[in-house]
Amino acid sequence: MDTRRRRFLGMGAAGVLAAVPGFALAAPARPRGRVVVVGGGYGGATAAKYLRLLDPAIDVVLVEPNAAFVSCPLSNLVIGGFRGMDDITRPYGTLASAHGVRIVRDRASAIDAERRQVRLEHGEAIPFDRAIVAPGVDFLWDEMPALRDPAVRARAPIAWKAGPETAELRRRLEAMPDGGVLVIAVPETPFRCPPAPYERACQAAAYFRRAKPRAKILVVDANGDVAAEPALFKRAWAELYPGMVDYRPNSKAVDVDVATGTVKLELEDVKGDVLNVIPPMKAGSVADPFVTANGKWCEVDWLTYESRAAKGVHIVGDALFPGPVMPKSGHMANAQAKACAAAVAALLAGEAPNPAPTLTSTCYSFLSPELAVHVASVHKYDPAERTMKAVPGSGGVSPAMSAQEAAFGYEWARNIWADTLA
Amino acid sequence: MPPGAASIDLRAARAICLLAAFAGAPAFPQSRPTPRFAPPNLSPAGVRALAANCAQCHGTEGHPAAGSTLAALAGRPRAELAARLAAFKAGTARATVMDQLAKGYSDEEIAALADYFASRGR
Repeated sequence: MDTRRRRFLGMGAAGVLAAVPGFALAAPARPRGRVVVVGGGYGGATAAKYLRLLDPAIDVVLVEPNAAFVSCPLSNLVIGGFRGMDDITRPYGTLASAHGVRIVRDRASAIDAERRQVRLEHGEAIPFDRAIVAPGVDFLWDEMPALRDPAVRARAPIAWKAGPETAELRRRLEAMPDGGVLVIAVPETPFRCPPAPYERACQAAAYFRRAKPRAKILVVDANGDVAAEPALFKRAWAELYPGMVDYRPNSKAVDVDVATGTVKLELEDVKGDVLNVIPPMKAGSVADPFVTANGKWCEVDWLTYESRAAKGVHIVGDALFPGPVMPKSGHMANAQAKACAAAVAALLAGEAPNPAPTLTSTCYSFLSPELAVHVASVHKYDPAERTMKAVPGSGGVSPAMSAQEAAFGYEWARNIWADTLA
Repeated sequence: MPPGAASIDLRAARAICLLAAFAGAPAFPQSRPTPRFAPPNLSPAGVRALAANCAQCHGTEGHPAAGSTLAALAGRPRAELAARLAAFKAGTARATVMDQLAKGYSDEEIAALADYFASRGR
């Protein structure tokens, strides 16, 4: 090895970055330093975009393994056959071309808070001044052992991260005979998107009603009642799909046997032709070092989103231990990401973060392709308790399902995708 | 009381509130004290952060996606925006969700948001 090459490798941060495809060695370090964002979902992609909007002097690197963004919101309509995967897929490229975010297509294997670098599965580590970690959720496999095996998941897709499993669950519903049974098993709260299991039952029912009218849907729920908008979902099942949805509360799934089509509950077994067992959840595994609440979730300072476990590491989205009545929603992750980006930009500029942040969430649930309901909330900071609390009197749910809310729901999706990615 | 006890109680209280909400119980039982929120931050950065909460539905900086049927906020007259938000908050304007969201903002915040979006280019 000649001297010049050795000197190149010894250049520290700049040299490491040069080894990552897409990082030009010639690019000057931006004066405010570098933020590495881990994960390009609703939280991470929004944080990357808004950091660049807030301060173009910040070097923003987004680490994301997938080639494109696939939305969980609206993905139940793909499972029902009313939308295609293309309809819920959006490119990441605009974050680079319009906002100057540097995108590294790789999976973060570790976040080293001590050395301030993000390690990658394939490329070399990327140094950061601050990291924003948006890892989403992972599953507690010990509480649903059979699904740990990818071969079992191929036959009983979870489809709780929109992507290939969403399409696979759709294929299985199409292949199911008329008169067959779909079993949806709901985990104990908190889990990503509380209304989603019940919306999924509605979308499958809308498909069955047209294509397989003798099919049944068995919803076995670990919770004592429907975990979001219970009256609205039960009314939809009774009025839109009479006799099709069998809802059983206090029925916790503990394992699956795909060979016999069995979902094992605590007290009995149920059988189905298509199994959609959703395991209990925790923060995405790359955030494991920052888990501080009941072994599952990450606590943060709500003014900065800095981890309670590590300096310089900020966390947003479904991985958080939430404030009271704060949902794990894509809308909420987008809102948290903007508050986090503003705080990180302030800290990098040597300024104080916003002492009075506000967050909102509006989640639309589609009860058929044409009818929807919502749940909305507004959250503000309580300095004495150092948490975000819902503003009394604000927020709420729809009085009834409506076509107007479905139209708004589709428009919400288009606009939040643009706000997150474009 | 040991130093950690208060925060453990707080966590338990949070968990109970969370469970109550997810189970469909009222989010604010009568016995729960009204939260004491930080005073609104009406500095330029504070209002910008507040306005960012409108963008999920109404587009970044109040510019929705092309052809969207949801209202564009950028460049609308200040008085029109302020009156509309006030009517949503008062419950006098028909709405699906904006009446619920507007109740989360103080009158000063509504005035600041109207100023902010009125001063954006269309």
